[in-house]
Amino acid sequence: MNSVDLDKLFNPRNIALVGASGNPAKWGHIILLNILKGNYPGTVYPVNLKEEAILGYKCYPSVGDIPDTVDLAMLTTPSHLVPSLIEECGKKNIPFVIVITSDFSETGPEGAELEREVVEIGRRYGVRIVGPNTMGIFSSKSNLHALMPPVMPLNGSVSMFSQSGNVGVQMLSWGTEEGVGFEKFVSSGNEGDLTCVDYLSYLSRDEATRVILAYLEGIDPGADLFPVAREVSRIKPILVFKGGRTEAGGKAAASHSGAMAGETRIYRAAFIQSGMIEVKTSQALMDCAKAFSNYPIPMGKRVGIITRGGGWGVITADFCEENGLIVPPLPMDIIDKFDKLLPKYWSRSNPVDLVATIAYDPYLECLEILTEWEGIDAIIALGAGIRVPEYKYSKEVKGPKELMNTIDFLTKMMKERAKKPDKMLESMGALVKRSGKPIIGVAIGAEATHKMNLERFQVVSYPTPERGVRVLRQMYKYRRFLNSPSTT
Amino acid sequence: MKILEDALKRNAKTLSEYGSKQLLAEYKIPVTKEQVAKTADEAVAMASEIGYPVVLKGSGEELSHKTELNLIALDLADEKSVREAFQELTSNPKADVKEVLIQQMVKGDREFVVGLTRDPQFGPCVMFGLGGIFTEILEDVAFRVAPLTRWDAMDMMNDIRGKKILDAFRGKPAVDREALADILLAVGQIGTDHDQVNEIDINPLKLINGKPIAVDALVVLGSEEK
Repeated sequence: MNSVDLDKLFNPRNIALVGASGNPAKWGHIILLNILKGNYPGTVYPVNLKEEAILGYKCYPSVGDIPDTVDLAMLTTPSHLVPSLIEECGKKNIPFVIVITSDFSETGPEGAELEREVVEIGRRYGVRIVGPNTMGIFSSKSNLHALMPPVMPLNGSVSMFSQSGNVGVQMLSWGTEEGVGFEKFVSSGNEGDLTCVDYLSYLSRDEATRVILAYLEGIDPGADLFPVAREVSRIKPILVFKGGRTEAGGKAAASHSGAMAGETRIYRAAFIQSGMIEVKTSQALMDCAKAFSNYPIPMGKRVGIITRGGGWGVITADFCEENGLIVPPLPMDIIDKFDKLLPKYWSRSNPVDLVATIAYDPYLECLEILTEWEGIDAIIALGAGIRVPEYKYSKEVKGPKELMNTIDFLTKMMKERAKKPDKMLESMGALVKRSGKPIIGVAIGAEATHKMNLERFQVVSYPTPERGVRVLRQMYKYRRFLNSPSTT
Repeated sequence: MKILEDALKRNAKTLSEYGSKQLLAEYKIPVTKEQVAKTADEAVAMASEIGYPVVLKGSGEELSHKTELNLIALDLADEKSVREAFQELTSNPKADVKEVLIQQMVKGDREFVVGLTRDPQFGPCVMFGLGGIFTEILEDVAFRVAPLTRWDAMDMMNDIRGKKILDAFRGKPAVDREALADILLAVGQIGTDHDQVNEIDINPLKLINGKPIAVDALVVLGSEEK
């Protein structure tokens, strides 16, 4: 893989912001503020002809006037000024320029011509360009929030490149609610110069990146995204969400093969062959990002299910089978172990039904037995990590002392029990690390719980079993790719 | 390849069924035993050489919708029915049939489709799926971008909803997956080797004791020669 070294782009010592503005309604102001409020440790040089200072930071009339070498420049000026500014950056030997400015190839032939000119000037001086028409970049390692919206992503090991700025930055911001942290992000814009292939290659070598997310709409037929992805997928997973799934089917084809070859089907094939894990919804992209970045990849497709009550176990087992996963029967030695812990009437099968055993300790012990069972590769733990709700009763209720005392007693007991899940989740997180098997928790509803489960206990959990099953299926797909013979 | 060059010189848009299978056979894809007859006497001689029962089909580069045009006579068991069929095909008012294809009759219990298409982004792509009339009705097909690895070929067989049809059933053996993989790889190879081949349909691909064989085939040529 020969690729551009983007270290100075993501970890610049300093930044020149050309088009910096004192007007809070301008991007030249908002982006400057985002960088500063994010506590970027390097120097920021606002470039503005007229202003003395913006937000208390001294302005320079041009990049040429900055009294230091500059690693990164950002442009927010009108598009017709961009060519001459790139030239100035070139003369100043600035290696990377992020062109926020829009009105280039996305608007038509004139814009495309201007874009070609800009890229051409960049090439002449060795300036590499992000965009144009980009929403910027984020780098956790450098505390760099060089973005249009005031997003403050969580720090983590997920990196993303996105052909839509909006989809990308909203994933960053959504991640803060899901507990999914990001390492690097780039909105690739029109990809006039640097393309998704450059970002992919760089991220594959970036040690802080464990999982790569890609939002793609179109890929230049000349670009070697898929051959590169095929190599990268051997190193770390690439989760891809492809927008623009229009069918070019029904095109003038003389054969059945031609008529059925819509764009979606061929892209799907290319993703499979290059080991990229394709998701079909933004929710699935977030769900998978969470599991892939926090959990080991299961060795196979055999799933153990543990549940506190029949119905959810049945639903989960059905959905596993429908999604190509296997829910194997329990062998005798495992049944014997469970017999010692559970009431006589437990299910004696997979899903392991604890039949309304309320206490946490048996649940945890059963979970441990499951992780030690060699017949499965992953576990879905239904009802794990449920936050015990406060005991609810009508505040108007009045009655005999015996009733009121019982309500009081239960209120206190539930409060006490609410502390217990923490211990359980802590043990679950440790079990995953010890066994190398992912344990997907499911607690119906309660989004906030899942963020806490992840951040405090490194437990991946979802509000529905179906979402957990889909994630396991994708992890198994990735395992299959890793097990396939490498051809390159 | 001579057969392609000749067809392109004539400005042909497709190869005849016979020509298509010659191309496939060059790539070691098993095809039905068949010959082209110009007279009823030739037809009878060829039929006995191939062995009864046989199929007679109107042959020619322009004849690609043979079922719709009534240009197929199936399961002919003797000389008399071959002569009658020959007469009927060559006097069909809807098509100008000058030659007739005499072909081994393959009953087969399962029908598959194997194809090639060219994608503007990815180039030649191989298709595999349920064949016969189900190809259009169920659209249960999978694609892979050429060139395929053997693993890709094995993987795409499992990528159709009706993949169970590949297994043994009702006393019939399972598909010889290795042999099927050879065909998928070969079709991809044709696409990589010949820019002039725009599309291929092998439909149906049938099974004789689990071994796949191309029973009907169509090669569509590109408009421009490279």
